[in-house]
Amino acid sequence: MSSIVKVQELSKAFESKERKKGEKKRTKRVDALKDVSFDIEEGEIFGLLGPNGAGKTTLIKCLTTLLLPTSGKAWLNGYSVLDEEDAVRSSIGCMLMGDRGLYWKLTGRENLDYFGALYHVPKAPRRERIDRLVDLLHAGDFIDRTVETYSSGQKMLIAFAKSLINDAPILILDEPTVTLDVPTARELRTIVEQLNQAGKTVLYTTHLMHEAEELCDRVAIMDHGEIIAIGTPDELKKSLGLEEVINLEGVFPPAALRAVEALQGVTNVAAKTESGGRTNLSVIVKGGGSLLPLIIESLMKNGSSILHVRPKETTLEDVFIAKTGRTLDVDTRQIVQQGGGSGGRA
Amino acid sequence: MEGHSHGFGLSKPSWRSNLSVVAAVLIARLKVISRYKGALLMETFMPVVFAAMPILLGVAIAGQNAGQYFQQNTGTSNYKLYMLIGSCTFMVVSVMLWLVGYWLRREQETGTLESIYLAPAKQVYVLAGVTGYALIRTLTAFGTALVIGSLLFGVNPLDGNILGALGFLALGLLPLWGLSMLFGAIIMRVKEANSIINVMTWVVSFLMGVFFPVAFFPPLLKWLAVAFPPTVMNDAMRASLLNLSTFFGSWYISLAVMLVAAFTVPLLGYEVFARTGRSIRKKEGVGQY
Repeated sequence: MSSIVKVQELSKAFESKERKKGEKKRTKRVDALKDVSFDIEEGEIFGLLGPNGAGKTTLIKCLTTLLLPTSGKAWLNGYSVLDEEDAVRSSIGCMLMGDRGLYWKLTGRENLDYFGALYHVPKAPRRERIDRLVDLLHAGDFIDRTVETYSSGQKMLIAFAKSLINDAPILILDEPTVTLDVPTARELRTIVEQLNQAGKTVLYTTHLMHEAEELCDRVAIMDHGEIIAIGTPDELKKSLGLEEVINLEGVFPPAALRAVEALQGVTNVAAKTESGGRTNLSVIVKGGGSLLPLIIESLMKNGSSILHVRPKETTLEDVFIAKTGRTLDVDTRQIVQQGGGSGGRA
Repeated sequence: MEGHSHGFGLSKPSWRSNLSVVAAVLIARLKVISRYKGALLMETFMPVVFAAMPILLGVAIAGQNAGQYFQQNTGTSNYKLYMLIGSCTFMVVSVMLWLVGYWLRREQETGTLESIYLAPAKQVYVLAGVTGYALIRTLTAFGTALVIGSLLFGVNPLDGNILGALGFLALGLLPLWGLSMLFGAIIMRVKEANSIINVMTWVVSFLMGVFFPVAFFPPLLKWLAVAFPPTVMNDAMRASLLNLSTFFGSWYISLAVMLVAAFTVPLLGYEVFARTGRSIRKKEGVGQY
């Protein structure tokens, strides 16, 4: 196997002007990517995981030539994103902005034909390819209607078909199932797997853990513009080592969370508030179940009410929590604005 | 199912493939506009309405003597045709001049600009397609408006050198394309088209001398006006259709000036547009709006 995507110390900094009340305008620098390096082997499905603002989209935009990196290098299909932009663009099929990026006054077929021409797909193969994609995605019922009449799921399917129009060896899919209903999302994942089995390499970004675990051969977890963990889903879960996850559901005041954090053997605590005011608490511990009575005692003493205590299989989200102390639902940019760094509490 | 592939377009695109990009963009844009009912019809009437205002004002102020007074200052008493040509040309100039800027904003807002930048097609071919579409649209409206206006105001544009006028129009479109790209580069940077266009439309109509000869201007403003290629085009077209002398005296000096502009302005415009695109990709990316 050989690397079809190679990323070496890629960095991207954004600068913007900021004026605070009573102060002079000053330049604010945000490091969206910090020395990111990784390889993707030919034929792999590689997942990029991380919360909003972690740097996934910036990385994807640098790899697809939409953004120029501040420093570092990257090659796709052997072509440099800095010097061989057209060859890189011909080597990738992209779905980056969900259902945006389509002309609503054109039909699905007209959109595919238009973008096919922009990818230099000759006319006859283009028609044939569109017909095959319509069959593959079961889009025959709506392909000849203007996109403005589509449901969001149908728009997503045409956006996905657009990424396949040039039959590129690398597919880059940024949250492709985000507005799809459950059965359609499952169907799309199945198609991605089939495309992968037929030889396509897939770079897949998502914030849905189950999607990454189900689909990806390897996963990189990003936070604050850095890759904080990389490996197969199993390797990442095993990397927690002696650490275990205890999951509790209930209502937990902040003092209770602080008390649990202070316990010896507790490495991280992350809370995710669900609808109805209930909170899911993930406590990463060393030493396993022996700490459970102490945790429950600390929570109860500090005014918590516990509804459920669940044994839990380790997930990729637990890996993220163990590394950062946060759940994936928290937007990284908010943490930065609040002055927190890695390890801030959710 | 899909077979293993290395993708389309990895070899150097042929001229046929590049032409196919131009055609695809042009056809897509024509399809889109044809699905907005009435848009093209309304556009045809705009120059007629635009010319009617000063023509009726002239009649109201100077009555039967309007043509006589006009001839003293411009060399022709046919002020109706003078203004009709001015407003029809101005419509072509406005559409062409703001073309790239409007196109960029629209594509940014719909999210399709990033999709275009993701494809390997060269921007120049995409822009050529967009321009081809605008040309079809504006020249159709120009011709129709000239015919409707001539019938309404009772003038005959076929008395003059119509072929010469069309030649000057065709030549003048090239520097307009260049100016359009320069303006597009500004829009890409400031990300706001409407306020700039609202102000610039009046500046352009003033500089072009849509309703009056630029020879009226004080010296500095006069030379500034003729440094703007659409002014030379408008002046040369009028001179051909109304048998007048051009601003420069002879038609061949106007032709020489327009030839220089036709070669230099598009090159300058494309260079600035490409550099701005690259600079934007260093900062926030082309899709940011």
